[in-house]
Amino acid sequence: MVAPLIELQSVSKCFRAQRTRQETWAIRDVSLNIGEGEFLCLLGPSGCGKSTILDMLAGFEGPTEGRILIAGEPVGRPGPDRGVVFQDASLFPWLSVIDNVTFAPRLSGVAPSTYRAQALELIEKMGLGGFENHAPYELSGGMRQRVAIARAWISNPRILLMDEPFGALDAQTRLEMQETLLAARGQAVSTVLFVTHDIEEALFLADRVAVMSRRPGRITLDIPIPFPRPRCYEALIADPAFSRLKQDIVRILRQEIVARRETDRA
Amino acid sequence: MNEGEGVRRLVLGLVSVTSVTVAWESAARYGLVDPLFLPPPTEVLATAVDLLRHGYRGSPLWVHVGLSLGRALVAFVAAVIVGIPLGVMIGISPIFAGLIDPFVQFLRPLPKLALIPLVILWFGIGEFSKVFLIFLSASLSIVVGAAAAVANVRRQQIRAGKVLGAHGFALFRHVMLPQMAPELFVAVRLSLGIGWTTLIAAEMIAADAGLGWMAVNASAYLRTDIVMLGIVLLGLTGYVLDLAIVGLQRWVTPWAGRS
Ligand SMILES: Nc1ncnc2c1ncn2[C@@H]1O[C@H](COP(=O)(O)OP(=O)(O)OP(=O)(O)O)[C@@H](O)[C@H]1O
Ligand SMILES: [Mg+2]
Repeated sequence: MVAPLIELQSVSKCFRAQRTRQETWAIRDVSLNIGEGEFLCLLGPSGCGKSTILDMLAGFEGPTEGRILIAGEPVGRPGPDRGVVFQDASLFPWLSVIDNVTFAPRLSGVAPSTYRAQALELIEKMGLGGFENHAPYELSGGMRQRVAIARAWISNPRILLMDEPFGALDAQTRLEMQETLLAARGQAVSTVLFVTHDIEEALFLADRVAVMSRRPGRITLDIPIPFPRPRCYEALIADPAFSRLKQDIVRILRQEIVARRETDRA
Repeated sequence: MNEGEGVRRLVLGLVSVTSVTVAWESAARYGLVDPLFLPPPTEVLATAVDLLRHGYRGSPLWVHVGLSLGRALVAFVAAVIVGIPLGVMIGISPIFAGLIDPFVQFLRPLPKLALIPLVILWFGIGEFSKVFLIFLSASLSIVVGAAAAVANVRRQQIRAGKVLGAHGFALFRHVMLPQMAPELFVAVRLSLGIGWTTLIAAEMIAADAGLGWMAVNASAYLRTDIVMLGIVLLGLTGYVLDLAIVGLQRWVTPWAGRS
């Protein structure tokens, strides 16, 4: 059996509050493997450590305990081989759309001829044709998020880390974005770790869904999502198997929330 | 600010300035105040024409204006060149901040008039002393502003830069600096006001020309009209400098306040 691309081995992360010096264990003893080319959605209640896992994979933070391996190696410093899409797009407002998208290749010093055509094609594919020279503040929220995806994608990252990238969008735009993401991924199958609150989103996008417990987070459920690709949203929500999976996950998340209320009361 | 708003502000400004000028003129003309204390605008204008023709104490009016502007601009350019890197280093390095900050915080609130005797003793009464005094007050305020700008760089943007391959100096040059630019402009703009205020103090150092000097010198001879002219010109020049900075800011950082 080939080793998984991403391995979290009994990873724990503890934060120390700056003023009170109080310790918070964000996640405790998380073990999780993600295979090459797999699309994994991470679900869980707010504050359970989803972003923490993503930040450690990106290389922004190190684990307190345990090991994180990517392709068998410890996580190095952040770089374009692991694309990150943040919840709030985080575009550079002083750069135009095309300059945002080509930020990483420009920095690496290769000739513009090697990436410019690809960038324009990517912008077109993301439905942003004609907006190359607009500034980020001249775009809508959904358009900004598409620029952020293109910006991460242009380096052909082996791993794409997405932290609630569509969380701020309305239902209509969100669905459009999910479809764009799946369609764009169809050609270059990269490994995706996608954090979300939205169960339907997870079921529509993922090959596998991992559900986390409340803080300190652990993985409480890890299930494959069997629906064949390409997926059609309308057909999917009409499928009884979809509703059943959704109910299972809702039940588990609910138990988490009830458990939290009880410990809070105690 | 949209265009209609801009026009409205211009009209309001013109109305208020004209009303105050007319009131000032009438007060002097109808004997409400002694022209010695408050010479009317027409007289100040006549004085301006006279000084343009015959100069004041050997120098034409434009030399006074030009000299003051020159001193201030040389001092500002030096203050920006020294102040921004110093402030950025203080903002980035806690060790550097610990070493330098006490001096900055001590000197900054100090009235620069108090330094005049020392500056004369060290650097004499030439141009350098005057420029140095303006430089000192302007650069200290730029240092503080630049250090604050570093502290306000958003963590998320730093992370976005790093994950796109920007580290070390590239991260500073392509992510931090552009993000700080609007705030750096604010710091420079504030320091311009502070530096311009120091001009009069600077020109008290045995100058024989300059707007500040002209106003102070004329007061000794009870030439209130020249004092008034000096004040108006100091104010107007400061205003124009401020407009120039704001224009430059809009041109260089058009994204400021929109993200
Ligand atoms: N820099 C930090 N310093 C201290 N504590 C932190 C820090 N970052 C996160 N935490 C703690 O770690 C826990 C997990 O945070 P994290 O952001 O990973 O949650 P999350 O699952 O992404 O939540 P959400 O769904 O609301 O985004 C939080 O409860 C928080 O208290
Ligand atoms: Mg989060």
